[in-house]
Amino acid sequence: MENAIEVKGLAKYFANFKAIEGVDFHVKKGEIFGFLGPSGSGKTTTIKILTGQLDPTEGEAFVFGENVSHLKNPKARKRFGVLTDNSGLYGRLTIYENLKLYCELYDLPLHKIDEALGFVNLKEESKKKVSTLSKGMTQRVILARAILHEPELLFLDEPTSALDPVNTLHIYEGLRALNKKGTTIFLTTHDMQEADTLCNRVAFLNKGKIRLLDKPSELKKRYADSTLTIELTNDEKIQLRKDAAGAEEMYQLMKENRVVTVHSNEPTLGDIFVKVTGGELI
Amino acid sequence: MTFSWKRVNAILQKDFKDFSRNTAVSIVIFLPIILAAVYGRMGLDSIQAHYMNINMTFAMVGTYVQCCLIAEEKEKNTLRGLMLSPASTLEILGGKSLLTFLLTIIIVFFSAFLSEYKPANITIVAFAIVLSTLFYIGIGTLLGLVAKSVMESSVIVLPVIGIFTVGSFVTAWTEKYPILKVAEFLPNVQLIELAEKVEQGAGFVQVFSNLGIIGIWVVVVFALTVVVYRKRMID
Repeated sequence: MENAIEVKGLAKYFANFKAIEGVDFHVKKGEIFGFLGPSGSGKTTTIKILTGQLDPTEGEAFVFGENVSHLKNPKARKRFGVLTDNSGLYGRLTIYENLKLYCELYDLPLHKIDEALGFVNLKEESKKKVSTLSKGMTQRVILARAILHEPELLFLDEPTSALDPVNTLHIYEGLRALNKKGTTIFLTTHDMQEADTLCNRVAFLNKGKIRLLDKPSELKKRYADSTLTIELTNDEKIQLRKDAAGAEEMYQLMKENRVVTVHSNEPTLGDIFVKVTGGELI
Repeated sequence: MTFSWKRVNAILQKDFKDFSRNTAVSIVIFLPIILAAVYGRMGLDSIQAHYMNINMTFAMVGTYVQCCLIAEEKEKNTLRGLMLSPASTLEILGGKSLLTFLLTIIIVFFSAFLSEYKPANITIVAFAIVLSTLFYIGIGTLLGLVAKSVMESSVIVLPVIGIFTVGSFVTAWTEKYPILKVAEFLPNVQLIELAEKVEQGAGFVQVFSNLGIIGIWVVVVFALTVVVYRKRMID
């Protein structure tokens, strides 16, 4: 499968500070790729390089086979949508007026506005002035703007960071639907649950370097504990190994009708991140 | 470089709506009109008096308003949105300048009407006014791109307004201080010189040097603006 993004030895230094260093990865077309890491790990720097907002100090990055330096070409910018921390809206204009501007810039029919607003659950609020919106609603308008032209590649920097759980689930559904239609999604987040829910593959970024990259299910298998936790009728919790001896003991407990619950000790992505990097996700 | 009138018009329409709801900046455009009405009633009809007002329109509308509009786009990160859209540099800068251009021309016209200024050759004066408008909008865009915030933009624009509004007065001291001769090359001084020549019956040939100097200012300012804009495309 062709790659939507290809990154080789990418580095960005700000004076003596190394924001990212030796970053290598690729994102296949049609994939939802998660770039995970705590604040300051280099996620936003990577997105800015990939969208042509920053020049790398070292290495190369390609989007749809084109070097990112060519993304300054307006035609190339039609192929992707961006939501980052520096995406702004016109506060004195309404939601509709903000999206109308982008419809015209992308040469789209105006009914696309309704579709995009439906995606972010804001159809009823289209006449509201942006300056009166909450942080979460503003975030949803920016997301609507990013998907307005149904881009082939969508860069999302912490897309649900300001959203409530109901709207977060609504956005997840929308992103999955968009992905089904063929949009590749590059997502940065420090929410491991979000990454687990949405992503086909994830990369753990810490202190500017990729520490681990794989499918969430593979990572969980690789870092899984080879034990089971058994809750017994007397509220006691015991751990059994997943081997012949453990099976024998389990058989015995079940025969005595003492087992209430059985859980495999699968780690969360957060557990794996902490184990690999020795740091916390903040 | 691509150019789509539809995209330029989209930015113009957005700017018009945004500007009409931004009373803090939009109120400024009435100042030259009020001054022109006062001058007209006071009977001040010298070329210096007329162009004091016209140059103030350039500085307040062409430069100050444009500078604030661009600085606000930068401060609110909306300029970044435009830069990431399919709009080209020419479409964005053209769209962002069109509203101020139209406002400047309309207010210059009204100011001239209220102060009862009737140029001897309307074609030459109109051409010079359009050329000068481009210069003042260019410098407003440049300052807006350099400023970090709207607050900063309204401070850094002040010396520019000073130089290009009353800068023509310093030419009176050129005999005492020869260094001030450089002020004769200012676009506002050139415009006044052109207007005076026109009143004495000069045609395009006689004012070519004045138009040329203003044209050079336009080219230099626009070249600098494009360079700074392209730098701003990168964080």
